[in-house]
Amino acid sequence: MRVPQLHLVTDPEVCPFDRLLDLLPVLVAAGVDAVHLRAPDRAAGDLLAVALAARRLVMPPAVLLVNDRIDVALLSEADGVQLPERGLPPEGARRLLGHGRLVGCSVHSVTAAERAAQAGADFLLFGNVFETASKPGRGAAGLQALQAVTRAVPCPVIAIGGITPERVPAVLAAGAHGVAVIRGILAAADQVAAVHAFRAALDRVEGA
Amino acid sequence: MTTWRGARLREALRLYVITDRALARGRPDIEIARAAIAGGATALQLRWKSGPLSEALQIGRALRALCREAGVLFVVNDRVDLALALEADGVHVGVSDLPVPEVRKLVGEAMVVGFSPETLEQALQAEAVGADYLGVGPVYPTTTKPDAGPAVGLDHLAQIAGAVGIPVVGIGGITAANAAAVIRAGAVGVAVISAVVGAENVREAARQLRAVVDRALAARSA
Repeated sequence: MRVPQLHLVTDPEVCPFDRLLDLLPVLVAAGVDAVHLRAPDRAAGDLLAVALAARRLVMPPAVLLVNDRIDVALLSEADGVQLPERGLPPEGARRLLGHGRLVGCSVHSVTAAERAAQAGADFLLFGNVFETASKPGRGAAGLQALQAVTRAVPCPVIAIGGITPERVPAVLAAGAHGVAVIRGILAAADQVAAVHAFRAALDRVEGA
Repeated sequence: MTTWRGARLREALRLYVITDRALARGRPDIEIARAAIAGGATALQLRWKSGPLSEALQIGRALRALCREAGVLFVVNDRVDLALALEADGVHVGVSDLPVPEVRKLVGEAMVVGFSPETLEQALQAEAVGADYLGVGPVYPTTTKPDAGPAVGLDHLAQIAGAVGIPVVGIGGITAANAAAVIRAGAVGVAVISAVVGAENVREAARQLRAVVDRALAARSA
């Protein structure tokens, strides 16, 4: 399965789910190719309702991923899961999900990246690369740490944390396959324009 | 996998102990579970509300093995994926968790599905869509689950137990001193957290509760 390049990670604190569901069709049309449903504080019943609604809006080639909850991913027929670093291990997730679905793992170190890659992750989410309001008080890992991860593992690495369109070239130069964004899109005054800017930055480097 | 669904379930619900990290005061879950089972616990639920799931998986594996060896029903709260990964005997959900029919789709026919209704309507509905047992409460005031709402009392439990065909366990503030009334109200057993997990002597606390439940059940069927 192809690993997407522009990941939108949802956060109900930044963009409530009803507003998100209104936005999803235009964001996907503008170039978001992976949507991660993430709401660690929400009950599974609520998350499932949102996932089922999102499933009708996120169509190929874009993919829908559910954070952490494999049960919700299965029931909503999502395209895969995004596992926290200390969530269920990728082998276990794969066993429950079966083949043909994406298993992404969030990692914060080279060691965790190597472990997840060995355990069969399809891609890794590494961050936070830059400082971000989504993880207040947590220092930026930096581009060098990103490069150390991309060099250590054979699978695609997606950079997260404070990514802007201007930073995309440096992130890709560090070996990242793509980027994941929360506020850079959801907190933008014009979300569609933000997606276009990210998409253009990714395609420019790819085409260069 | 042998199933606990059906006649066997009723017996397994006599003394249902739910894990709680905070109440265990540093004692490992597996030690608490071993002592509770030695004292007469018939079911054990892994309840994991915070902390990394990888840790829940690790502790869950140990609890899974212990329960299998002891012939105790092993249930996972809320996380159906964790229940499947651990090959639990059952999974328990509440009104804001995954709906019972969806849970059944994921776990198949062998696994026990428990549900905590807040109303009689929800209880009847859950039975109709395949719940195997109900946890009703809080019967008495409780501090363990701040989100559990005010005590609903014995009348509410009696009303539900009288209306459904599936077994009902009472939960919330139950101790050896008040457990008999829960059984008299129609429950097949009691679910406890603090009365066992928070006890100084877990085994003895479980033994006393189990004795009260057994006596009340015997008196009811006499």
